[in-house]
Amino acid sequence: MTRLSLEHVSFWYPATDTPALADVSLEVAGGEVVALVGAVGAGASTLLLVAADLAPRVVGGRLEGAVDFRGRGNGEGGRGIVLPTPWTQVSGMAFTVWDEVAFGPANLGWPREQITRHVDRALARLEIAALRDREPATLSGGELQRVIIAGILAMDPALVLFDEPTAELDPAGARMLWRLVRSLAAEGKAVIVATNDLDALPDVADRVVWLEQGRAKKIGPPALLAEDALCAAGLGTAVAVVWRAGGLPRPYPLTVDDAVRLWRHR
Amino acid sequence: MTDALRLERVSFAYGDVTALAEVSFALGPGERAALLGRNGAGKSTLVRLVTGLRRPAAGSIWVEDWDTRDRPPEQLARRVGSMFQYADQQLFARTVRDDVSFGPRALGFAAPEVQQRVGRALAALGLEAHAAHHPYDLPPAFRKLAALAGALALEPRLLVLDEPTAGLDRALRARVASALLERAAAGAALLVVTHDLAFAAETLERALVLDRGRLACDEPLAGLLAAPPRLEPLGLAPPAVAALSRALGLPGAPVREADAARALARVAAGRRAPLD
Amino acid sequence: MTRLHPFTLLALAAALVALAWLLPAPWGAAGTLAVAAVLALFSGAGLTPGASPGSTGTGMSPGWRPGLVVLRTAVVTAAPFWLFLFILHDVPTTVALGLRITTMVASVVWLVAVLAPARLVEAMVAAGWRAGTAYLFAATLSAVPVLKARAQRIVEAQRCRGLSPRGGLGPRVRALRALALPLILSALHEVDERALALESRGLVPGARRTPLAPPPDRGAERAVRWALVALCVAALVWRLA
Repeated sequence: MTRLSLEHVSFWYPATDTPALADVSLEVAGGEVVALVGAVGAGASTLLLVAADLAPRVVGGRLEGAVDFRGRGNGEGGRGIVLPTPWTQVSGMAFTVWDEVAFGPANLGWPREQITRHVDRALARLEIAALRDREPATLSGGELQRVIIAGILAMDPALVLFDEPTAELDPAGARMLWRLVRSLAAEGKAVIVATNDLDALPDVADRVVWLEQGRAKKIGPPALLAEDALCAAGLGTAVAVVWRAGGLPRPYPLTVDDAVRLWRHR
Repeated sequence: MTDALRLERVSFAYGDVTALAEVSFALGPGERAALLGRNGAGKSTLVRLVTGLRRPAAGSIWVEDWDTRDRPPEQLARRVGSMFQYADQQLFARTVRDDVSFGPRALGFAAPEVQQRVGRALAALGLEAHAAHHPYDLPPAFRKLAALAGALALEPRLLVLDEPTAGLDRALRARVASALLERAAAGAALLVVTHDLAFAAETLERALVLDRGRLACDEPLAGLLAAPPRLEPLGLAPPAVAALSRALGLPGAPVREADAARALARVAAGRRAPLD
Repeated sequence: MTRLHPFTLLALAAALVALAWLLPAPWGAAGTLAVAAVLALFSGAGLTPGASPGSTGTGMSPGWRPGLVVLRTAVVTAAPFWLFLFILHDVPTTVALGLRITTMVASVVWLVAVLAPARLVEAMVAAGWRAGTAYLFAATLSAVPVLKARAQRIVEAQRCRGLSPRGGLGPRVRALRALALPLILSALHEVDERALALESRGLVPGARRTPLAPPPDRGAERAVRWALVALCVAALVWRLA
């Protein structure tokens, strides 16, 4: 079931002539993980803001085209976005991590029992139950990022948007996060992730959107990340890039396993 | 020749929580070390100690012949260039160029010298096109590069960076890698805190791994990356190129992309299949 | 002291400021300042070791230390005003205005130290206020510790780039200027980002927040609050008469 659809969406930030998004059309269904890849400034963050209904509503600017979200208003079954740099998304008004995660659900006006259930579950999912009584200001960047993600998940959104979620996480944390993304999709949520961690995507994404200067240049399965054009643009997986740089013929392998298989059959 | 950086049994705690316990290592000029470890292992704390923002509770830290206990951070800045995790909060001038020139000016260099240093730092990171922009008009990734340029402009003997590539795309990561290699070739020692093992493999040669405040490993990076059983208990995993090297049995076990590509090409041309 | 209901703390601060200006100087102002100073001194009362009522993470020891910090901050903040007053006015006016301003400053500093933004939000929401309004009040309160934390980060980054915060008047003024601009700029920039972030966490106009831990309100405190209001009104009437 389609949760989000963008039809020929263009977006201009306030007082700019060049569009940050140009004629982007995309449909995301529940249970699907869509990854946005592109150079810095290509429009991934902007697309997430538009999908979250924060642009142009809160950010300002101009939007053309149609954005259609099928969920239940804000909160339960709504859309949640995890912004990059966790320290800007902290409420600044919580004594403990538990309160911080409960910030969102409390703002939605849920009954206390429901808040507790969702917060405890979110803490467990992000593997930070042990941090529940800590003061948010004493957390490291990676711990804070997990807390913020928990805070968004606790609001039980139907569409979850992630902007560089692994930027502050250590490798173990990153693995945990990608597993979490898959489990969110398994629950029927629609997930869109903007990330530079291309090597993780073959196991995580159902579809990949290649953004360049605000346009969706190509949309396809993760195998896209082994295509010549993307490798040339610096958007291929490390394995594909190395294979190509070694002068070996197409098709380039996407992952180490693919490479081994190809190598065996030479 | 004196070490660029030497830690002798350094310990530090926040209240009764141990952050660092008896950490000792030394970096020579031109040496490039990665400071690795899980979140909360003590890496950022170590950076703060090296820059002089905090004093070690026990042990000592030497930047060449200066003891960090005796020197305030502003003096250590003559030898140590640093970049912290929240770099985009430290920018404050009206243009990127002004911000980058802040350090050299504060150190008292004459205007022409300042201009030259700023020019070199901006060029190293490809920021000339953004030099006249207001820092907050740039996306966070470019602000990060601007902060790094500020540290490079000091042309210090020791560069201490905390997560310089977080949030950067491949092209920008490559710019950072080449800028750092350039500095190291000029004799600067590098200590880079990073989670990005792929970047570390491309740019750094030595692995210093912290585990719960202790130095668990101090060895060549390439060797460590080729040994997954050792990486796992430290919370690390081999980056794709190292894993590929190992899986295909490439000669020399290269961990850098260019080396792996060359090895692949050579093996393919020789029609040898290392797996068979 | 931090266990008092947030509204009581607000009422105390507001009443002190109102009375400082309503009561005749210099005795009225001196009196209110004395009360403010006493309140400030007791800011640490009731704190458990390692806890801090307002800003996060400093874990100050209880007892006199927090109180002394509050007093020192108040004096340091009010000092420039005294200087200007002294230049512009004669001694009696200087004393009168100075005492009033110092009371105001001391009350505000005390309030920021003892009132945790989170508790204020909980209290307002429990009393029926909208989440957005409550947050606006709380943000003003937390502005000081947030700016302080930010200022500290900026100063640290600048020190690591060679700027010395010590030295003579010249370097200090330069250092202050180098701090003021980025502080304001980045704070303003952050306002934009914060608005976005808070929207993303459900803080939309019209939101009705569920109180998680509403501070308990006692009859005695309510009575004290009304008494304070009455006191201010009485002072006003008396001055006008």
